[in-house]
Amino acid sequence: MNRNDLNQLTEYLWEIPRTGKMRVPGRIYATRALMDRILADQAPQQVVNVACLPGIVAASLAMPDIHWGYGFPIGGVAAFDMDEGVVSPGGVGYDINCGVRLLASDLTADEVAARLPTLVDRLFKQVPCGVGASGGGKLSDADLTDILTQGARWAVAQGLGTDADLAHIEENGCMQNADPDQVSAHARERGAKQLGTLGSGNHFLEIDRVTEVYDAAAAEALGLSVGQVTVTVHCGSRGFGHQVCDDYLHRMDQAAKRYKIALPDRQLACAPLGSPEGRAYLGAMRCAVNYAFANRQAIAHRVREVFADVFGDRGTPPALRTVYEVAHNIAKLETHTVDGVERTLCVHRKGATRAFAGDRPEVPEAFRRVGQPVLIPGDMGRCSYVLTGTQQAMDQTFGSTCHGAGRAMSRGKARKAARGRDIVAELRAKGILVKGAGRRTISEELSEAYKDVSEVVDACELAGISRKAAKLEPLACIKG
Amino acid sequence: MQDIDRTAPPWLAPLDHPADEGVTVRAPDLHTLFARAAWAMFWCVTDPGAVRPEQERDVWVEAADREALLVRWLAELNRVHQTEELLFSRFDVRELTDQRLRAKVAGEPIDTERHALYMEIKGVTFHGLTLAKNEQGWTASILFDV
Repeated sequence: MNRNDLNQLTEYLWEIPRTGKMRVPGRIYATRALMDRILADQAPQQVVNVACLPGIVAASLAMPDIHWGYGFPIGGVAAFDMDEGVVSPGGVGYDINCGVRLLASDLTADEVAARLPTLVDRLFKQVPCGVGASGGGKLSDADLTDILTQGARWAVAQGLGTDADLAHIEENGCMQNADPDQVSAHARERGAKQLGTLGSGNHFLEIDRVTEVYDAAAAEALGLSVGQVTVTVHCGSRGFGHQVCDDYLHRMDQAAKRYKIALPDRQLACAPLGSPEGRAYLGAMRCAVNYAFANRQAIAHRVREVFADVFGDRGTPPALRTVYEVAHNIAKLETHTVDGVERTLCVHRKGATRAFAGDRPEVPEAFRRVGQPVLIPGDMGRCSYVLTGTQQAMDQTFGSTCHGAGRAMSRGKARKAARGRDIVAELRAKGILVKGAGRRTISEELSEAYKDVSEVVDACELAGISRKAAKLEPLACIKG
Repeated sequence: MQDIDRTAPPWLAPLDHPADEGVTVRAPDLHTLFARAAWAMFWCVTDPGAVRPEQERDVWVEAADREALLVRWLAELNRVHQTEELLFSRFDVRELTDQRLRAKVAGEPIDTERHALYMEIKGVTFHGLTLAKNEQGWTASILFDV
């Protein structure tokens, strides 16, 4: 595909016209510079493929961080009619409810500086990460079932947090209508030992400081100020979610044939929303969503314990308040206005984040004036952002925006680029401590392996689908 | 443990993908292709040369067609690896049709003192999956979500 195949609707919105078997157009949000890079990979073709699915509403959407995934592009958003539409595990991804929690402390960067190495060492020990890491115990069947239906609420009931955390998590930390009966024994086995673990790859635990405020009103509502230390947790549903996705991709592969759904790509395997397979997947997916909410709550608790221990001489432990937590791989039933009519739709966000305007009932009271917080992690050498949702996102993208920077190069190329370099020393020279469970992980996750998140976030703001509130820069990063 | 950059056997070529990992595998026949595909998946995860084939497992999978069978075979091996914390290095495909596979695989429990662990495979994907016969035998390309 090249630029001649697109219509430029605005300076930041490009349309792939509806042709052939497409049921709706494709729409990609990007600056001109980002668009040149997007066209260099196969992601726009994946936008076209998604546009061919039954019951898709309005457009097959792509955020500025779009890149080639499998089936749905990463950075893809697609909403489906409840009667005519489908649900697709590939439109959510293997890591169901991969997401981000932001904690804000009452510490400044100066107060943390001298204790940073100790914090990093203790966090690395207390929050299991890396390939094969387990949570230190095996959940009983009963506990696992409770986690699947209660999410972060289960963790809070165990003393691993408070109700104040729940109020500031998407879905209040628990997605309703989860159905453990739709989850396989294999998925339960994989999840039994992994609660409280970070995983590996691009998952991380990061200590940041707020370096810039763009929207004073939003920053005040979020409780963020320049110099403040924050902690970001990025992880998902671990092996539990991966197995749920795998189980249902296999099942949907057969279902799509039975329902005579023509698929341009087999990984778009899907079933009608109202079918037994569709309902079963949603029930199981919600279990995985809840597992991830409980996982991040358990990790947040350990982070708080470590900070309390390292700052034990302070008298009162440092406060680490949950600013917000978002999901960026999920399918949800949401109400949206389409052509003036309010409709319930199944919105798939795969590598995309909900960015609701403040007047939506799903947005916590504290953020009604400014919009839902959106947490956008960058790479370990540059920065991350806190954004807020907008009415324009509601009008154009089913209340969605980007999710991160997206990779710019393969892991193999990143390892080659890192050859002969000491990446940990390079980051230390920039004032960033990095600790990784695997030597390869640090090489594969170096900054230049990722697009510049600032470009992505600027594109979203220029397109009006979210607004910058604050910028965070890393002080320390722990990777699996 | 070996260096992070390793030499692959001549029948295995890593695929360059920005977000995921993948391999292309060649073999003279289908049985060997399926066995090598499994070895290649574990080559992405670890150094199979360091994995002692001490414990055997029987693996049996069914699928609607040959491509799906390849995905199910690798997905099942990944599931056992992750759930039971085992690594495998020997793959003996005993029965193979377009819909069924039966194999005996051998490996050992993960020992972080001896086994480098390079990545965690979340899933074995259909995207870009190819499985084809050519003049030299068979070729398959598979992408793993990592």
